[in-house]
Amino acid sequence: MSVVGDLPLAAASVSEEATFGEASRALSASRLAAIAVVDAEQRVTGVFTQDAQLRGLFPGYLAELRHTAFLADDAERLAERARAVGAEPVTRYLAKAPSLDVGESHTHAAELFLHHGLAALPVVENGRFLGMLGQGALCDAADDLLASDQS
Amino acid sequence: MELLSILIFVTALAVIALEWVHRTKVALAGAALVVLVGAIDQDGAIEAIDWATLGLLAGMMIIVGLTEPTGVFTYLALRVAQLSRGNPVALLFLLAGVTGVLSAFLDNLTAILLVVPITLLLADLLRVSPIPLVLAEVVASNIGGTATLIGDPPNIMIGTHRPELSFIDFIVNLAPVALLTLVTVVAGLAVAFRGQLRIDPSRAVEIARIDPARDMRGAKNVGRTLAVLFGTIAGFFLHTVLHLESAVVALTGAAVMLLVAADDVERALERVEWSTLFFFVGLFVMVGALEEQGVIEDVAEGLADLTGGSRVAEGLVILWGAALGSALVDNIPFTAAMIPVVDNLQADGFDAALWWSLALGACFGGNATMIAAAANVTATGILERTGHRVSFVRFLAVGIPVTLVSLVIASFYLLLFQL
Repeated sequence: MSVVGDLPLAAASVSEEATFGEASRALSASRLAAIAVVDAEQRVTGVFTQDAQLRGLFPGYLAELRHTAFLADDAERLAERARAVGAEPVTRYLAKAPSLDVGESHTHAAELFLHHGLAALPVVENGRFLGMLGQGALCDAADDLLASDQS
Repeated sequence: MELLSILIFVTALAVIALEWVHRTKVALAGAALVVLVGAIDQDGAIEAIDWATLGLLAGMMIIVGLTEPTGVFTYLALRVAQLSRGNPVALLFLLAGVTGVLSAFLDNLTAILLVVPITLLLADLLRVSPIPLVLAEVVASNIGGTATLIGDPPNIMIGTHRPELSFIDFIVNLAPVALLTLVTVVAGLAVAFRGQLRIDPSRAVEIARIDPARDMRGAKNVGRTLAVLFGTIAGFFLHTVLHLESAVVALTGAAVMLLVAADDVERALERVEWSTLFFFVGLFVMVGALEEQGVIEDVAEGLADLTGGSRVAEGLVILWGAALGSALVDNIPFTAAMIPVVDNLQADGFDAALWWSLALGACFGGNATMIAAAANVTATGILERTGHRVSFVRFLAVGIPVTLVSLVIASFYLLLFQL
């Protein structure tokens, strides 16, 4: 039986003491859509997502606007905002996400990806963070099944 | 049983005002309780629901929800801001004006949801605090909503409850006083906020550079959608001539809008705020129980005793009482409870003046506190989410003077022209 623990996991996490700037750099380096935020005992307290990164770096009212094609970038304002947000605690930008236990099935992982709208989920073993599972890794595994079936 | 129904209603109002639990949960729990304890029977509870109000609200939610993606409201708000040419007083008046007009012909909560995000963007470009502008828009939304039958939930409830009051009656009797009040209070706010609204002329150029029509050019069905919107508004003006209730006009407009502008009906119906509709259902049932138990009649008799049966005193007490009640709780449940009281007060015959008193009191009272109207809660919520917190006390500092000035104007208007 295939389980989540068989898939490649990325050691992508930051401590809950981290700043937005540190989390943002870790997220960009991971090439994933989200990284885990963990406490001192490596328990997942939430995830830091690309959505949160955008929300932090761009003006807060963007999420409220429905039409923005008329907007031009205000470089001065964006730079000001990046400086201000960089030092903020990452905990202000945490999102809740379900954790996958290392022994859970690929089907369950697929269901969580589909229903929670997150492209990366934390995987835990005995409640401790093990790594991030990207949706791409699950898709690759599913694609392997397809390839083996066709061959 | 009478005391129990009062206790359930007052507790529900208190919990709604304190925002401990979502208002829809409270209203539905209160409705279930009054039925379960026998304060109103099941058939009575179903009859107590004002389906016309729900139909009008649902219809307008669909129409506005399907018009919004065209970008026409964004265009309107941006174009109006450009007309100010960076003059802060002009900007304040123009944004308040567009909010007031949108509130009158859509509804005040929708107007706030459309205008406030644009205002945050404009304030950012102009490097001014958005708070004075947004507070002026909140005030304008509640005053502008007073002007028409569909502008504010209290008016929707009154207009659908008393079909004798047409859409045009609302405009003829309430729009002039709403306009006078709007101009007066926005002028006051312009003076009060003058120190916070200094705009650097170089920043004003940024606003002039915006192309407000950019989003509309790529939108689908703009012409058809606007035709249905304006057709529906025309239908409201003509509803008495057409012998149609305003709810039928709104639902017909919604049906046509779904036919011509909705590719996906399921997604289009997501625009309906079901929590608001269920909130109304719960309120109607709780108020039905108060009526069933004779509480409303007792309140009406008490009010008649207090005013000595004087029509003038009744009108003024309803105006100021409705404003106070709306300020302390929320103008929707308060109006729901007051409608049968006003019905009882005029048992001898129909008196439109008392309904205008209730409409003016409930709508203007909606400006007094942060929790008095849904538009206030929504606008301050958006401000807070975007890093511009407005405290309850800061809102009061604007809301109380605005409400007092509005009520004084409304009192003179009622005394001179209605009572």
